[in-house]
Amino acid sequence: MTRTHSRPLQQLGIALRILAAIPGGWAFSWGFVACGTAALVALGAPFHDAETALLMLGLLVFAGVFLWSFAARSVLRVCAVLVGGALLFNAAALLLQRAILS
Amino acid sequence: MFTSFRQSMAWLHTWFGLALGYVLMACFFFGALSVFDREIDRWALPETRFAPQPMPSFDKVLLPAFARLEADPADYALNMPALHDAAKGPQTPRQELPPDEYWAYTTHRDPVLAIGAGFRVPQPKDPGLENHIHANATIDPRSGAAVPSDQLKIGSQWFYPMHYSLNWQWQNMGIFTVGLAGLVMLVALVSGVIMHRKFFREFFTFRPQKQTQRSLLDLHNLTGVVALPFHFFFAFTGLLIFAGFYYFPVSQFQLKPLHDQHEIIEARETGLPHQRAGIPAPLASVDAMMAEAKRRWAARDMAGEVGFLQLHHLGDANGYVSIYRAGSDRVALVGEAIHFKASSGEVLREEPPRAAVPALNEFLTGLHLQHFEHWLLRWLYVLGGLLGCACIATGFIFFVEKRKRQHAAAGSPGARVVDALAVGCVTGMVIAAVGMLVVNRLLPAGLSGKGEWEQQIFWGLWLLAFVHAALRGAPVAQARINPAWREQCWAIAALALAAVLLNWLSTGDHLLQTIILEPYWAVAGVDLSLLAAAGLAALAARRLARREQRALLSPSAAPETEVVHA
Repeated sequence: MTRTHSRPLQQLGIALRILAAIPGGWAFSWGFVACGTAALVALGAPFHDAETALLMLGLLVFAGVFLWSFAARSVLRVCAVLVGGALLFNAAALLLQRAILS
Repeated sequence: MFTSFRQSMAWLHTWFGLALGYVLMACFFFGALSVFDREIDRWALPETRFAPQPMPSFDKVLLPAFARLEADPADYALNMPALHDAAKGPQTPRQELPPDEYWAYTTHRDPVLAIGAGFRVPQPKDPGLENHIHANATIDPRSGAAVPSDQLKIGSQWFYPMHYSLNWQWQNMGIFTVGLAGLVMLVALVSGVIMHRKFFREFFTFRPQKQTQRSLLDLHNLTGVVALPFHFFFAFTGLLIFAGFYYFPVSQFQLKPLHDQHEIIEARETGLPHQRAGIPAPLASVDAMMAEAKRRWAARDMAGEVGFLQLHHLGDANGYVSIYRAGSDRVALVGEAIHFKASSGEVLREEPPRAAVPALNEFLTGLHLQHFEHWLLRWLYVLGGLLGCACIATGFIFFVEKRKRQHAAAGSPGARVVDALAVGCVTGMVIAAVGMLVVNRLLPAGLSGKGEWEQQIFWGLWLLAFVHAALRGAPVAQARINPAWREQCWAIAALALAAVLLNWLSTGDHLLQTIILEPYWAVAGVDLSLLAAAGLAALAARRLARREQRALLSPSAAPETEVVHA
């Protein structure tokens, strides 16, 4: 482990990575599950089949982005991708749903 | 900030492992006990020590038992005001709520039968919702008599929910905490593998005679790697079981319109009515429906016991009866449902085989929940769970061993605190669980609120173990072993022996009786496991004593070589 204790900037970096990994990763995977479910339903899959498939993938995605939050060189890029991705996925899910139901 | 990829993984593994390892320890230990939850129930409730029973006659046994059910007062007090529409009149009194749904569930390991009812709120705010006030009970399926409800099923109602919710119901915080711990388990397994430079060389390395720190790390890696697929599988499927309802409930949030539309389509396709018709109708013989369901399963060449039975929209023309096949011969829980019209007994629908994705989901979660009949696999699950515990516990001790000299020199309390927490959640947890069984045999069976007492004493003993470990931790601050480890091992040995003896004294079921004279393996298995635990704990205590002696004789032992880790 690096000697990070004396450097507030590095502690902030760790705090950001933890925030990115847990709430950020959750929001991102949630969006992924919602968007993927809606997309599979749009392709003709029954709702619960689509949901189940995406739940399985979503958990693996969550574990993956959790690891990436710590492995990535730039913490800011991690935050940008996770927050941006969460917003895009959720918006896409809503749009897809509207298109399917209309 | 991290100079390398491997270092970032080591940081993650160390600190998240430390922070959530305590929770994971409880998941793995109580998960391992849950494999035999029903057997522990039999041990703790001697009046239920008889052979597992098939689903009894509905018309003769179940219907009178259902008729005796009343809506649960706590559920009524909590949910009735929210569901009832006050504008339409006063609340229907609790005992006058009409039943809308009955269910009964059993497995090949259940002598007693779990049954329940959903009572209808007659004037609901939102008629589209389910609007049920529930009742749950356990009955003796041979007579229909109720089993006293203030007696706790220690296995299936305490140890089992402990492993996925920590019995912390407030806002489902327990389930979310365990969820985070499960995710961290996945992440710790991946990062742990990455940390290994010489993964394959160290695959089966164990050097028990080397220095403590080195052999600890070997044991940590061994238990982690040998059971890696097991650990990954259980963490993943555990998350999957709760994902749709708690972790990613998209179908109840932004995709609710899509989900609701699907429900309507499905109801139309299956022909099973979603709502009551409002027209009264009688109930035909459910025994005849069960016989027909078994006949149809037999025609499809499947083992034919009824596992789950559910009656919907009771007393209504839209009422139907769903009969599910027990899952003793396959991994998925219950299935091959056949639905009958309640008023006539005609078959409404026979469920087709599952599509690929739901079948995979059922297989994965079924393999986690394992209600199928396979006793060897059941024991392998226990072994896997205990290997998980060993992996986490050695992780804690390695953390302490690696730092305690450094912390002792610097006067930092870090190692001492982590060590005390580790004692409390390794040996302390076993003390709480075994102590609960001892108390179960000491308290009289007729004591009102006996289950409450058992729960309070469980928490009390666990807390006591933490306090004891913290008070006895001074030697760790001098880079020596906390004597609490040894003392709590002796406590486990004494409690486990006492539990076996008390079971004999209070019920007459000693091992000779339960193994040879009148074999009853549920109770014999718990007794034998308690004896094994007592033996292991005593062995551990004696070895710890020897180690403490050695450390006292050579206080200035050479500093252990630094191991490249974390």
